[in-house]
Amino acid sequence: MSKLNKIARKSTWVDMTAFVDVSFLILTFFMLATKFKPPEVVNIDNPKSVSSDKVEDKDVFKVSFDKEGRVFISFSSDKEGREKAQLTADVLSRQKGLGLTPAEISNFIKFSSGGIGVPVSQLKSFLALSDAEYKAFKQPGIPVSDTLNNQLNDYINALLTGTGGRKPANIMLNGDNGTTYPYFKNILAAFKKNGIFSFKLITAMEGVPSGTPLYKRQKEQGGGEAK
Amino acid sequence: MAEIAQDSGGGGHKKGPGVKKQARKDARVDMTPMVDLGFLLITFFIFTTTINSPKAFKLNVPDDSAKDEEQTQAKASGAFTVLLSKSNHVYYYEGQLQSDGSNFKSSNFKEIRNELLRKKGSTAEKDLVVIIKPNEEANYKNVVDMLDEMQILEIKRYAVVDIAEGENALIRVTEGTSAPAPAAGGK
Repeated sequence: MSKLNKIARKSTWVDMTAFVDVSFLILTFFMLATKFKPPEVVNIDNPKSVSSDKVEDKDVFKVSFDKEGRVFISFSSDKEGREKAQLTADVLSRQKGLGLTPAEISNFIKFSSGGIGVPVSQLKSFLALSDAEYKAFKQPGIPVSDTLNNQLNDYINALLTGTGGRKPANIMLNGDNGTTYPYFKNILAAFKKNGIFSFKLITAMEGVPSGTPLYKRQKEQGGGEAK
Repeated sequence: MAEIAQDSGGGGHKKGPGVKKQARKDARVDMTPMVDLGFLLITFFIFTTTINSPKAFKLNVPDDSAKDEEQTQAKASGAFTVLLSKSNHVYYYEGQLQSDGSNFKSSNFKEIRNELLRKKGSTAEKDLVVIIKPNEEANYKNVVDMLDEMQILEIKRYAVVDIAEGENALIRVTEGTSAPAPAAGGK
C-alpha cells in the first residue's frame, strides 16, 4: 500500500525542462529577429498594395505626410543620407539667408533622420532645440497646400542644388491612409517641378486577390520556376 | 488518514531509504517561474516585432511640362475614367462623359475591378487607358488602392489626372451634398 501511494504522488510533478528549452528557443528567435522601429515623430498608417519590393534603407530621401496633412522630410542616417542632409541645410541657409551656424546644421542632420517638418522661416529657431525638446515639439509640417508657396519645393530644390542634380538613390513617399488627395497632389507637384518623376510609395503588404490577371501570371511564373 | 500514519510509522522504522528519497527530490528544480519569465519575454518580443516590413510601390509620373504634341492622346473609345470621392465612393464612365451624365455610374472598390476587367477584355490593349481622377475629398488610400488595382489587373496605361469641375458637380449631385441640378440626374 505504501509503495503505491508514493508512485501516485510522484506522477503529479511535470518535467518542465523541455518546456523551458522550447520557450527559450522561441525567445532567442524573436530577440534576433526583432528590429526595433527607429523613433519617428509622426505616426503614419500606410495603405496596402500587392507590391512585394523591399524598402531600401540606404541613401534615402523620404517625404512623409500624416493624417492632418503635415509634411515632413527625412534622410537616412547612413553616410550618403547625412551628406545630403548637410548639403540641403547649407544650400537652404544660403538661398533663404537663414544664416545657420555649424551647430544648427549638425542639428539639421541629426533631426533629419527622424523628420523635419517646419516652414523655412521657422527652421532656424527649430534647429536651436535640444534633442528632448525636438521630441516633444509638435512640428507644424512643411506648407504645401498653397501652390505659390509650396515650401517642399524649396527643400527639394536645395537638396538637388547641393548635390549638383544628383538624386538620392531612393526617393520615397510615406503617406497616411486618411490624408486627402490635394496634399498628395501638391507633393507630386513639388517632385515634378524638380525633375523627380520616379519614386516609391511605402505601403504595407497585401496578398494578390485570386483570379486576377496578376495572380494568374505570378502563379504561372511560380509554376515555371518550380519545373 | 490511517494509511498516512502507517506510512510515517514505516518511515521511522527504516530511516535509511527515507533520507535517500528526500535527497533525490531536492535535486529537482521547479522550472515553472522560469517558464513564466520566458513566455513573458516572448510576448514582449512578439508585440514589439514588426511582422510585415513595409514594401515599396514604384510609381512613375509623367512630365507635365512636355509639349502637347509629345503627350500621348487617349482614344475616347479605350478610355475608362474612374472618379474617386469621399468615404470610398467610386464613380466611373467609359469613353467621354455624356453631357446629360447618362453614362456616369456609381460603384465601389469591389465592383470596379469587374468593370475594369470587362473593359480590359473588350478593348485592344494599346487603346486601353484608365484615367484616375480623385476629387478634393478622396483620400490617399483610395488613390493608392486604385493604382494598386492597375497592378493587379495588369493595366499598363493609366494616369492620375485632376478632376474637372463638371465631373465634380455630378459627384456632388449624386451624393446629394448640394441642390440637385436639373438635367444632370446621375443615378
